[in-house]
Amino acid sequence: MEYLFTIWVLVTLNFFLPRAMPGDPFLYLSADEGQEVARFSEEQRQYYLEYYGLDRPVAGQYLSYLADLLRGDLGYSLYYNEPVSAIILRRLPWTTFLVMAAVLLSTVSGTILGSLSAWYREKLLDKLLFFHLILLSEVPAFLLGLVLLFTFAAGLGLFPLSGAITHFASYSSWWEKLLDILHHAFLPVMALTIARLGGMYLLSRNSMTTVLEKDYLRTAWAKGLPQKRIIFRHALRNALLPIVTRVFLSLGSLVGGAILVENVFAYPGLGHLMREAVMVHDYPLVQGIFLVVTICVLLANFLADLVYRKLDPRIGDYSGIRGG
Amino acid sequence: MLVKIVEGGKEFSLPGKAGLAVILVVLLAAILAPYISIHPHNISSGPPLVPPGGGHPLGTDELGIDLWAQLCYGARVSLLVGFGTALLAALGGGLIGIVSGYLGGWPDKVFMRLIDIMIVLPDLPVMIVLAAFFGPSLLNIIFVLALFSWVFPARIVRSQILMVKERSYIKSAETYGAGVWYLLGKHFLPEVFPLVAVNMIRLSGRAIVAEAGLSFLGLGDPTSKSWGLIIHHATNFKGIYYTDFWKWWLLYPWLALIIMVISLALISRELERMVDPRLGR
Repeated sequence: MEYLFTIWVLVTLNFFLPRAMPGDPFLYLSADEGQEVARFSEEQRQYYLEYYGLDRPVAGQYLSYLADLLRGDLGYSLYYNEPVSAIILRRLPWTTFLVMAAVLLSTVSGTILGSLSAWYREKLLDKLLFFHLILLSEVPAFLLGLVLLFTFAAGLGLFPLSGAITHFASYSSWWEKLLDILHHAFLPVMALTIARLGGMYLLSRNSMTTVLEKDYLRTAWAKGLPQKRIIFRHALRNALLPIVTRVFLSLGSLVGGAILVENVFAYPGLGHLMREAVMVHDYPLVQGIFLVVTICVLLANFLADLVYRKLDPRIGDYSGIRGG
Repeated sequence: MLVKIVEGGKEFSLPGKAGLAVILVVLLAAILAPYISIHPHNISSGPPLVPPGGGHPLGTDELGIDLWAQLCYGARVSLLVGFGTALLAALGGGLIGIVSGYLGGWPDKVFMRLIDIMIVLPDLPVMIVLAAFFGPSLLNIIFVLALFSWVFPARIVRSQILMVKERSYIKSAETYGAGVWYLLGKHFLPEVFPLVAVNMIRLSGRAIVAEAGLSFLGLGDPTSKSWGLIIHHATNFKGIYYTDFWKWWLLYPWLALIIMVISLALISRELERMVDPRLGR
């Protein structure tokens, strides 16, 4: 319900933004590349007003806009001369791939490091990990990406400088293509993963520490269960709950990071496209990407709510959920 | 409690002290920018792309503008955006937190729902869209960043007010006929202020990073040369990958940003631990 309402707010915002913008559509239509301003006659003005449906009352425009949206019509890109939805669909998989890979890698490695740290609390390993990962957790992903790009791609030449696949390459088999894609995606994914690692580490360290002090763990020890079983079945399973929540809560900031990182590596995802669209003033495209990205994040959170309810039967109190 | 924070500077651990020192240096550089930058920050003062040394301590960019001067003036932008956003967010968020926590009922419900939504909403796409439509002035950027930051002080203030509201000294003050404004000024604000002040440091760090990201995309205020904008120009330079120019042109603004953000984080971590041991993660 809450999510539906939010989506409605976003859609409405999206509708009114261009109308709230200073200026007039005719200024943009008539000035080509900022070169010369062609003047419209009153007849032409009327024609275009009618053509774009701008002569109708705002409410009517709004309704037809909603109807278009429901049919998946996001408008027509001025720059690429293609329906916005088609362009977005082509670029979306790349971004999804980056984000998913980063979520997976950072969550798994963060949880392992955090659990190690909690297990060896106050020992040397814990202190070392804690200090370094805290520093690392503050570094934004795109700055990390720049370092990776300049050392491993530009400096050492180990990775490609930009793009997602080698252009004009012909592959003898599908796994060669896959290898090429992974080769291109490695650095961007690493940048996103490392940037998120600190946060995941801190959370799982915290969560694991609390769980390790619980009574049922003492019971498990007293029963003489093997250490492996205690760690994986008893401790980790319970410590994972807040981590799952956090993964989805922080999806928004991860997407923001991905937009920037894509631009560092010129990775052909939605983030890179969005910047290009802004640069060429392709407003329908900018708005389309904005809607798709935010709605995807909201949907992911909605799913997370459902999953979380299944995972934790005690749901109802919000104590486990912390933003930040 | 505020005095305790100030005095707490002495109790800082080594990383905390280092962070404090860095921020002071940046602050000084920003204030004294016209005096310590030998060359102008906006017009060319030498041949382009000179490596550090000689007349230009940190070298020059592709237009021959001194980098050291740009960094000094860029510090102004970063600090302005950081603290401006934090202040705006703390004021707005604090107000909402007070209303929500003290009144309860439907305003509380509405604000809590709003906060839940704001937390999951990705901020960067919204910022890009707003910057694209309303023009990337510094004021707009601060405003948009604050729009996404008020959530944190609001939550802190609300939970604090909820806790303090039930204390017996507030109850007894109420029975003596203390009004809302009296309670606010005398009891709530002093309790809430230190936590919000500490949170502001964290918020300014986030804002500085966000501004740098927007500028890096080329969506920052083009008239104010921030550190992110220098990085934007450097990475958009055609031969940057194949030459040595990045060794100063890109490296120094990058370092400045990283050191600044980490210092702010160290300070806020230190203060959080001091003000409320439970807040420290």
